[in-house]
Amino acid sequence: MPIEPPVVRLDGLVKTFRGHLGLGKHVAVDGLTLEVRRGEIFGLLGPNGAGKTTTLKTMMGLLRPDRGEVRLLGLSPTDPAARARVGFLPENPYFYDYLTGEEFLDFYGRLHGIPAAERRRRIAEILARVGLEGRSRGSLRKFSKGMVQRIGLAQALLHRPELVVLDEPMSGLDPIGRREVRDLILAQREAGRTVFFSSHILQDAEMLCDRVAILVRGRVRYEGTLDALGDRQPRWFEVAIVGPVPAEWSGEVCSSQGGQTLVRVPDVETLTRLLAATPAAGGQVVSVWPRRETLEDLFLRHVGAAAEGGA
Amino acid sequence: MPLVLFLLGVAGAASGLRGLQRIGDLRTADELLYLPNGRYLRIVSLGHRALMADLVYLWAIQYYSNYDRADRFRYVEHVFGNVIPELDPHYVDAYTLGALILTVEAKDVDAGLRVLDKGMRDNPDDYLLPYLAGWEAYHAGLYERSARYFAEAASKPGAPAVILRNRAGAVARAGDLREAYALWRELYLDPGSDAVTRGVAERRMRDLAVRIDLETLERAVERFRTRNGRPPRALSELVRAGEIREVPIDPDGRPYAYDPSSGKVGSTAGRILGNP
Amino acid sequence: MTATAEAAPRRPRVTAAVGAIALNTFREAVRDRILYLLLAFALLMIVSSRVLSMLTVGDEGKIIKDLGLSSISIFGVLTSVFVGVSLVFKEIDKRTVYTLLANPVRRWQFVVGKFAGLALVLLMNVVLMSAALVALLLARGDTVLRLVPAIVLIYVELLLVTAFAFLFSSFANPILSAIGTVATYVVGHLSWSFELLKDRVPEGAPRVLCDVLHAALPNLDRLDVKARVVHDLAVPGPFLGWAALYGVSYALAVLVVACVVFERRDFN
Repeated sequence: MPIEPPVVRLDGLVKTFRGHLGLGKHVAVDGLTLEVRRGEIFGLLGPNGAGKTTTLKTMMGLLRPDRGEVRLLGLSPTDPAARARVGFLPENPYFYDYLTGEEFLDFYGRLHGIPAAERRRRIAEILARVGLEGRSRGSLRKFSKGMVQRIGLAQALLHRPELVVLDEPMSGLDPIGRREVRDLILAQREAGRTVFFSSHILQDAEMLCDRVAILVRGRVRYEGTLDALGDRQPRWFEVAIVGPVPAEWSGEVCSSQGGQTLVRVPDVETLTRLLAATPAAGGQVVSVWPRRETLEDLFLRHVGAAAEGGA
Repeated sequence: MPLVLFLLGVAGAASGLRGLQRIGDLRTADELLYLPNGRYLRIVSLGHRALMADLVYLWAIQYYSNYDRADRFRYVEHVFGNVIPELDPHYVDAYTLGALILTVEAKDVDAGLRVLDKGMRDNPDDYLLPYLAGWEAYHAGLYERSARYFAEAASKPGAPAVILRNRAGAVARAGDLREAYALWRELYLDPGSDAVTRGVAERRMRDLAVRIDLETLERAVERFRTRNGRPPRALSELVRAGEIREVPIDPDGRPYAYDPSSGKVGSTAGRILGNP
Repeated sequence: MTATAEAAPRRPRVTAAVGAIALNTFREAVRDRILYLLLAFALLMIVSSRVLSMLTVGDEGKIIKDLGLSSISIFGVLTSVFVGVSLVFKEIDKRTVYTLLANPVRRWQFVVGKFAGLALVLLMNVVLMSAALVALLLARGDTVLRLVPAIVLIYVELLLVTAFAFLFSSFANPILSAIGTVATYVVGHLSWSFELLKDRVPEGAPRVLCDVLHAALPNLDRLDVKARVVHDLAVPGPFLGWAALYGVSYALAVLVVACVVFERRDFN
């Protein structure tokens, strides 16, 4: 059996933008090399302006790289055959607001050459999947931001692509919306699809990604699995206490709100002592959180390092 | 407050308008000087030449319906014979109206006919223009020219038969009685002519026959008088003298009247066309 | 169910995408109020030609025909220019082009689809306006059959103007595109002046340049038979055929250039 090409392969990608009137030069992506394998959820992370959207647009053939190469499923993104197997949701999508949701999806179904009967069936199915059933008859003009994001996802999934590319899929959504999008992305992996998304919101990535790459100023600063993200042992604990805090720890209080006080303790031994001391002091332990280094810590470390290095 | 300002605005505008009306029109009588050449209008019209021609035409109609201007005929020929034809050379209405204004109102027959001539050059298949030119020339007493226009009009496709009658009339007026007779005869004999035409042709031929005979006789009498120092005693004397071949008889079959003392020839036949 | 099991990507027919985009463009236009505003104005003009015609001395039908045909042409050109330059720009400006071109749609299919959609809108406009004009003329007992060649050629002219609007908008912003398209329209109606100019410039290169410009620039006057048909003069069949061939082929060439320019474009 021949070796399957990676679902996404970016090789030494460079994209430079000229400034106004062709003056000045801005390197958006600077030698980006990545591979994503089938069935992965891959997160491209980085602060605003790191080059995430440029990378995604270049991947979709909307921008031509100055140097380097993009391969989707072994094909160039300029080849419609490649794009037929990929679904894409751009950042802050905006769709033809004169269409109704169903007309909109029907249009994209036509672009993929899906026959009429099949189109109808799939549209009903995908609308149910993104939670828009029965709400897609109105024109997109009247859709809320969350609904637009959902119909955008529906559009990206309608033709059952092998690879789904999502640019900031959760930005601008309320907590429920984020949760639903998250579930939808996970469901794609269940269905055997590969998901490639960008985000500057780290919790999203933390909960979803098999692998991430951290992009800073057009360069990959970190690439790897989340398990490999530093030391996964708890680094400290946070304890929520209602009522008075034992005097020994009054100096360790992080925050206090609504009668609940958050105390930070460095290790298990100290934690045990605190748990014992609290009832004696007349307080009550409500919860205990073990804290590990998060993606955010990692992220800040890399971004910070790059900022210093680049300065 | 907004209502006050609004009313203030309305009142101001109204009084301004009143003031302007009192001062009157600042436009000079020479405004037509600024009417651009047709060629420039054609450039400006960008493919809507016919519409531009309509607008100039409509404007000209309104302009020449204003009888207050003293020098209003100065540019008629320019407008109707130059500007509009440059824009729409097939606009027959414009040529005809221009010619009518020139001949009827401005009494400038030559200019009117020039406008019509231009229209005929641009519309060689149209009979209306030469027909109108024929009448204008006819009314101006230019019978030969009129006959030529009628002949041209009659030769166009779709020209009504009446033009041939007009032509024959003009030819008669021009003095060529035999030619006129021949034309009427042609009409009379033409199987395509209707009953009215044939009736008119018959009457005209009768009249012309009388006039031709009288003319022949008068000339013969004149020649006889020059040669012999006296008028002939009877018309038959003219035959004997070799001035005419035979004594003609009028269409009613009666001889022409002759007064030997004065040498005058007359006819007892009915009314004679154009002979007072 | 796995991705490999359902992955049997169809290769949609080349025309399917063009058709879908054309239909969508048509839908966009007919749901836009601007179109109705323009259409209402045009119909108003056509109807008011009846009023204007009462001022004339002579044939009122001529005035109605002139104003009617010119209205069809002028409002068609306005639609061509203002809808034409905004169609492609709007897709880029509102970023809808990202999702569209992320689908298996070639860029030329996008341009051609948009063009076809607008061509359909223009066809609808021309037919509606012509129907109004015909109704007005028939009510007066005028003949209308002779107007058909003029209306056909007006439509061809609109296609050509639209192609230029697409060409300009494939690389310039809407204002520049509109100016460029209007300028092309003006030049297209003045290209005969190169013949006049030719006689006044010195022999050699300048005259050749005049000839080249005269031949290369669109000659929109060739597509204008309005002034003929209103006088009930026939337009010879071969003339109609060649003129239509000229206009359609020219539009095709311009559209090809627009596609090539668009093909090389980045979407920031």
